[in-house]
Amino acid sequence: MPAFDYRQAVEIRDALTRHQCRYLFIGKSGALLLGFPDTTQDADLFVEREPENGRRLVAALRELGFGLTESQAADIERGKDFVQLNNGPFDLDLVFAPDGIERFEDAWQRHIDVEGFPVCHIDDIIASKEAAKREKDRESLPRLRAFREYWLHQHRP
Amino acid sequence: MANKPNSQMAPEDRPEWIPVDWWREFEAASRRSLETRMRYGFVRTYKPILDDAPYRAFDTMEDYRRWCDENLPRWLGYARV
Repeated sequence: MPAFDYRQAVEIRDALTRHQCRYLFIGKSGALLLGFPDTTQDADLFVEREPENGRRLVAALRELGFGLTESQAADIERGKDFVQLNNGPFDLDLVFAPDGIERFEDAWQRHIDVEGFPVCHIDDIIASKEAAKREKDRESLPRLRAFREYWLHQHRP
Repeated sequence: MANKPNSQMAPEDRPEWIPVDWWREFEAASRRSLETRMRYGFVRTYKPILDDAPYRAFDTMEDYRRWCDENLPRWLGYARV
C-alpha cells in the first residue's frame, strides 16, 4: 500500500463533511497539517463519541471503500476508545478518547482549520503525546515543542 | 481559527533553547503548500504485527497501550516508558 497522500486526505475531509461527521486530525498527522516538518505513517482522527456521529462516520467510511462488517460498524458507532483500520484504501486510526484530552468539545473549541481540514490545536497534540508516554513520542516531543513556539509566534493576533 | 500566519520571527530572535536549524526547517516548511508538506510527511514502511491485521478495536486506551507493550517489537517505539 502506498503512503497516505493529499488526495486521500481530501477524500476523507469531503466524505466526512458530506456526512456531517465531527472529527479532528490529531497526532503527528495533525501536526503535519499545521506545518510541522516531520514524517509519519498513518492518519489519526479524533472522533466525537456520540451515536449519531458514529453512524455518520461508518457511512462515510463505507463510501470511502472501507470494508466494515456489521460488528466492526457497531464498534465504531459505540465509540470504542481506539480502532485501527487496515481494511480500506488507506490505513486510518480512529481515536475516541485520546490520552491527555478530557472532552472532544474542548478540543473542538480550540481546533484549527487548515484549508478545510479540522485539526487539533498544537497544544492538544502535544498534550496527547505527553500523556501517551510512548518511546517514539518522547523522541519527537522536544522538536514538537519547538514547533509550537514557532507556530504560536506565527499566529499571534 | 484558521492556519494563516500573521507574523514571522527571524531565526536570531527565536527562543534560545530551540536549535537554529529546527527554526529554519519550520520556516521552510511554512513556505511549502499543504500538498507538498503531506507528500514529504507521509511515508510508508511495514510495521510488523501492527500491520498484519485488517482491523483491531480496543475498549479502552489502556487496553490498546497494554497490547502495544506486550505484542509489538520494542524498536517500533510504541512501548510506554
